[in-house]
This record gives sequence, structure tokens and C-alpha cells, in this order.
Amino acid sequence: MNGIYGEYKPVLEEIKNDFQRRIEEYTEQEYQKSGIKIYEHLISRVKSEESMSEKCRRKNLPETPDSALMEMHDSIGLRIVCSFIEDIYTNIRYIKSFPDCRIVDEKDYIRHAKPNGYRSYHMILEVQYPYADLCGNNPGKYYVEIQLRTIAMDSWAALEHKLKYKKNVANQELIIAELKRCADEMASCDVSMQTIRDLITGTEE
Amino acid sequence: MRILLAEDEKDLSRALKAILEHSKYAVDAVYDGQEAVKYASENAYDAMILDIMMPRLDGVSALKQIRASGNYTPALFLTAKAEIDDRIAGLDAGADDYLTKPFAMGELLARVRSMTRRAGTYTVKKLKIGSVALDTSEQELSCENSIRLASKETKLMEYFMTNAGKPLSTDEIFNHVWAEDEQADPKIVFMYISFLRSKIRAVNGDIEISGSEGETYVLRSVSGGDVN
Repeated sequence: MNGIYGEYKPVLEEIKNDFQRRIEEYTEQEYQKSGIKIYEHLISRVKSEESMSEKCRRKNLPETPDSALMEMHDSIGLRIVCSFIEDIYTNIRYIKSFPDCRIVDEKDYIRHAKPNGYRSYHMILEVQYPYADLCGNNPGKYYVEIQLRTIAMDSWAALEHKLKYKKNVANQELIIAELKRCADEMASCDVSMQTIRDLITGTEE
Repeated sequence: MRILLAEDEKDLSRALKAILEHSKYAVDAVYDGQEAVKYASENAYDAMILDIMMPRLDGVSALKQIRASGNYTPALFLTAKAEIDDRIAGLDAGADDYLTKPFAMGELLARVRSMTRRAGTYTVKKLKIGSVALDTSEQELSCENSIRLASKETKLMEYFMTNAGKPLSTDEIFNHVWAEDEQADPKIVFMYISFLRSKIRAVNGDIEISGSEGETYVLRSVSGGDVN
């Protein structure tokens, strides 16, 4: 095992699978309670060793398990894609109630959109897992990154990602401006859909 | 539709009010320029009819003050036949039309209809209340974030912003925003207010629309934009 994760690779896979299972579990619980499926789809991945090495190089960090697991916080990543904006915040409440997790960082780019129009909710969690970490803690401490967004935000982000990694795009400035306009129109639809759902269920006063 | 009528001759005022009301307009009659300025600052009108020669404050000065406050409600002056200078001063002060006395009631009603039809073209493109800006040509509402509005949402937001602080009844709103839409139901007003409320929250706006379903609404600034 001479990848950047070293002996930790299987542990990362286990933590990722465990998180996926816990999210599926509370979603089922919420469905039984309210009849709402609070995520539309859920994806999880352990960042490939190649991309992690590349990222460490870019940040001038040694390509070691220490950099990958302690300095970087996105070796384990999950994305929860929801139908409605409020479902995102319901997911966040469940995640915050996990007893073995501490929130290290969170950014609400839904209420505070990025200037280019990007909207999503980002959380970095520190989780405990019964496998000693690099500092010798047992249970060990590992980082998990969770991104939450609506379907509209997700398809926008996918398109914006394409733009970011493609060089020499024709009319780039015009495209950036139009992407921003699309982000604001999609946000408008997300907000209207949520409002209509609230009007139907009678939660809008 | 609601009309502000400023005319100091009591008999003429009474006659005008009766005829306008007969044509389904709601009319607030005042008798001098100062009252006209006060009423225009407190209520939302679809048109204003102002006499030029009035006690306390003449019609031209009154309209200048009303326009200076950012109020672009269509206005028509009533002038005496000889007063050409008055007509020029009135139009330059921001009036949209004038009528010389004596006039035929049918013509006054036609001019009011014509003015209110064109009302939309007189408003400014960019409005701002608190830190929240509305660009009516782009249909964009912005504060910390920006969001696009549907066309009726833009019209409703524009109506609220040009009448900030003034109470607007569900009927007034409905008649102003959905005037050309014969199929619309007044219940739509609350739905669109709900849309605007969520969108004001989505941009972290420091304004709010207060009021309950079917009643009277007011747009006001509030302190502290972020309500996480």
C-alpha cells in the first residue's frame, strides 16, 4: 500500500459507507413521520488517491497520509441532493444531531450565494471511528465533507464545473454573466416551489 | 382604481367626485395643495387630478413636492383657459396631461383612462428601499444575493416599493397589478405576496411586507437584514 492514504484507505471506505447508511436511515425515519423523502439522491465517494496527491502538490504539502487525512478535509465526501430548499435544512438538523460528530466548519452558500451564483450548503464534520488515527487517538478522528443542494443547484453546479475546467471558452464573459442569470432564475424557482409547498401544507402563515 | 382629487371649488369638487365614483373610481377629495402632498405621501393612487390655483399651496408646487419624493403617479392639471404659462409650468413640474376649464366630463374620464393605461411607462427602472434594489427591466431583486422575479412579481414589488410605508389593500393591489387579467382571482394576491416574502428572505433583504391574507399590506424597512 503506497498510495497517499496508506493503510487508511479501507477505513475511509468504511466511514463513507457508514455515513451513507446513516443518512439513508434518518431519511427513512423522516419519511415514516412526514411522508417526505428529504433527499432525491445521495452520492458518496472517497477522493481518488491520484486527485488527492495532485491537490497536495498544488497546495505545496508533502504527499503523505498526514496531509491527506489531517490537512485536507475532503477525503470522504457526500452530496445530498434534495427536491426542496427546506429539505436541505431538515437534513442538516439530522446531521447535527449525530452524537459522535463535531462540526468543524459550515458555509451556507444558499443564504449567502457566491458572486458567480453558486448555491449549496457545505459542512465539514469531524467524526469518531474505532480505528486509531495518525495522532494515535482511539477512537480515531476523521474528516467528512458534506454538500447539500437542490436538484436545480446541482445541475447548475455541474454546468459551472464544465466551464471552470475548460480552457479557451468562446465568449467566456458573456457565458459567465448568463450562468449567473440562470442561477438567479433557478433560485427563484426553488423559492417559489418551496412557497407553493408551504401554501399547500398550510405552513405559510 | 383610486384617484386623488385636489380642487378648492367645493361645487366642482363635489360634481367631479360624484362622476368619478359613478365610473367606479375611489376618490379622495382634498381642497388645497398642502393636503394633496400629505395625502399623496400616505396613500397609493392610480392617478391624481390637481387644480392649479389653490389656497395654501398651488397645484404646481404641490406636484413638484410629490415628484421630488419619488412618486410617479400619473397627474393631470385643471387650468383656466388663459393660463398658458401655468400649463407649461405644470407639465414641466411633472404633470402628464392637462385640461382647460370648462371641460366636458366625458373628456376628463377619457384622459384619466388614457393616463392610467400608460402608467407603467412613467416609473423609474431602478428602485431601492433599505438595501434592497429592484431593477424592473431586468426583473432582478437584489440585496446580499440576487434573484430573478416573474413579471407579475416584478410589477407587485414595484408597486410596493413606489408606495413604501403606505397601506395597500388586497383590492387595490389586485386592481393595480392584475388590471388587464380578466381571469385572475383576488386570492392570487396573497400567493404572490408569499412569493415576494420568500424572495426577499432569499436575498437577505432588510425589508418586509406585513399583513395577513385578504387584508392590507405595508412594505417597510427593518433593521438587521440577516435572520438566520
